[in-house]
Amino acid sequence: MRQFRNMAMPYIVWMVVMIVLPMLLIMLYAFTDQGNDVATIRFTLENFTRFFSDKVFMSVLKRSLYIAVVTTVICIFLGYPIAYVIANRSEKSKMFWILLITLPTWINMLVRTYAWMGILQDEGIINWLLGFLGIGPITMIHTTFAVVLGMVYNFVPFMILQIYTALTKMDKSFLEAASDLGANKVQSFLRVTLPLSLPGVISGITLVFLPAVSSFFIPKLLGGGQYVLIGNVIETEFLTSGDWNFGSAISLAMAVIIMISMYITKKVDNDPTANGKGE
Amino acid sequence: MKKIIALALGAALLLSGCGGSNSSAAEAEEKYGSSTLKLYNWGEYMGENLISNFEDEFGVKVIVEYFDSNEMMYTKLQAGDAYDVLVPSDYMIERLISENMLQKLDLSKVANISNLAEGVKHLPYDPDNTYSAPYFWGNVGIVYNHNNVDPAEVEKLGYSILKDETYKGRIYVYDSERDSFMMALKALGYSMNTEDEGEVEAAYNWLLEMNNTMDPAYVTDEVIDGMINGNKDIAVVYSGDAATILDENEDMSFFLPMEGTNLWSDAMVIPANAENPLLAHEFINYVLTYDASYDNSETVGYPSSNQEVLDDMSAADGIYGENEAYLPRTDYDKDEVFEDNPVLKQKLAELWIKVKASH
Repeated sequence: MRQFRNMAMPYIVWMVVMIVLPMLLIMLYAFTDQGNDVATIRFTLENFTRFFSDKVFMSVLKRSLYIAVVTTVICIFLGYPIAYVIANRSEKSKMFWILLITLPTWINMLVRTYAWMGILQDEGIINWLLGFLGIGPITMIHTTFAVVLGMVYNFVPFMILQIYTALTKMDKSFLEAASDLGANKVQSFLRVTLPLSLPGVISGITLVFLPAVSSFFIPKLLGGGQYVLIGNVIETEFLTSGDWNFGSAISLAMAVIIMISMYITKKVDNDPTANGKGE
Repeated sequence: MKKIIALALGAALLLSGCGGSNSSAAEAEEKYGSSTLKLYNWGEYMGENLISNFEDEFGVKVIVEYFDSNEMMYTKLQAGDAYDVLVPSDYMIERLISENMLQKLDLSKVANISNLAEGVKHLPYDPDNTYSAPYFWGNVGIVYNHNNVDPAEVEKLGYSILKDETYKGRIYVYDSERDSFMMALKALGYSMNTEDEGEVEAAYNWLLEMNNTMDPAYVTDEVIDGMINGNKDIAVVYSGDAATILDENEDMSFFLPMEGTNLWSDAMVIPANAENPLLAHEFINYVLTYDASYDNSETVGYPSSNQEVLDDMSAADGIYGENEAYLPRTDYDKDEVFEDNPVLKQKLAELWIKVKASH
């Protein structure tokens, strides 16, 4: 046993250096300001009060959460049926479809988002095609539609893969038992498949919601300069403004908000599973 | 004029001959102590052959990296990255000087400094070229489609045309806190280097009002293609970009508002931690030659820092002879150069993102 513990050391060192230390640094920055000539570090809560008392920042926060929720919901409704269909195919066909789903993620996200810029532009390919039908041009770039589309496109594979894994891991004998007991297809889906795949949906939500709420280049490219989400504010504070303390405070506040929402999701998750198991 | 070009070309050829046109890496190693130069410049800011010509002529290898904002460059420099030549803007050079991050230029190694254009001599941030040698310069002005916008109207309103609701949804504004606050402060008749909180507040409200009534698109380099394609009717742009736009689209005109504008310049400097200062001097001297500067200005469209190039290009038969945006306005008392003010800049950056975020 002791030998195994030693083997974990490299991982522990790695995690401390790469995860714990940066987190601590962000916390240190968040609770301090740049100080004056006498003291170089001064502890303060000012960064947080400045963020939460500002109407504009709060509306940006609201918009970011709203966009992330919309993206996540669309990903669930889009991803679940796709994952369900794939999971019920033959072994060979499964591999092929999963490969197709993951293929785009092999290409850099930035490149794919730039491609959408070209597609959605006023003189882009969609409007060009619409032109033949005598419609348009319809302005799509620099709208909420474009931002949500970009996010759904980039993040939906994560949702599909999670749900797919949960569905394929499911014990098929439950379904047989359900039909033995007289459940029709809809009933057995609602009372067996859905509850058993919920853990997959929950981890899918985590994987989609997290990047969606903090993404800054998708709103920047597809939403235009006027589309400001919280990730853009953090980027400005770090790169343009150079106010690392305030930027860290916003990052930390976001981390806490996300942790709380994850906690709530987990809670919600626990209830229907208990119900679904028919105890 | 043609004669002058021929003369200059001849001189350049002669010079390059003296420099030994087929220098090898070993020779460069001996002469400069190294055969590689690390250059950190703006993206799309160099003539097509600038680097390859320099490499051939001096037998060296140039490694180029690009930045898209002064702040990005500053952050990397602070992180300890070593470059031999940087091309930051005026206010950033002022900051780098004050923080002792630059080396003094040995002007005896930069003989071509005598070629500098009148407009970039004795600039306030470095009046005697102790640390910097100008690269490009220009103004910020308004490009508009003269078929859809009355020139008389633009001249009458100046920057305030960006708040004229006739043009709602048809304007591009440059997405940078410096340029947008410059515009607002000038429109209100204040100095763009103001430290008065009331004036900054007024400019903030000016921009908020524009944001909330005009539905502007905030862009950076996209403005060039956008205006060439005629997507919008009015745009606030750098004069060099304006020259490119006017070149490509005949419907566009350029106007420098009488409320004043920013007289900006980007200049070459050698950071304190440069590894090859000798080669860096050689590069700076090279960029200031007629040929290199002509190549730069022809490709990029920004005004050259070399007086002769500037004269030739803006002459009636020059390639920018009929381009009203090419030659910057000088000697106008309402035009100003940006001064470095980190505290104010931080505040403006935050106010600017707030302007963009409020709908």
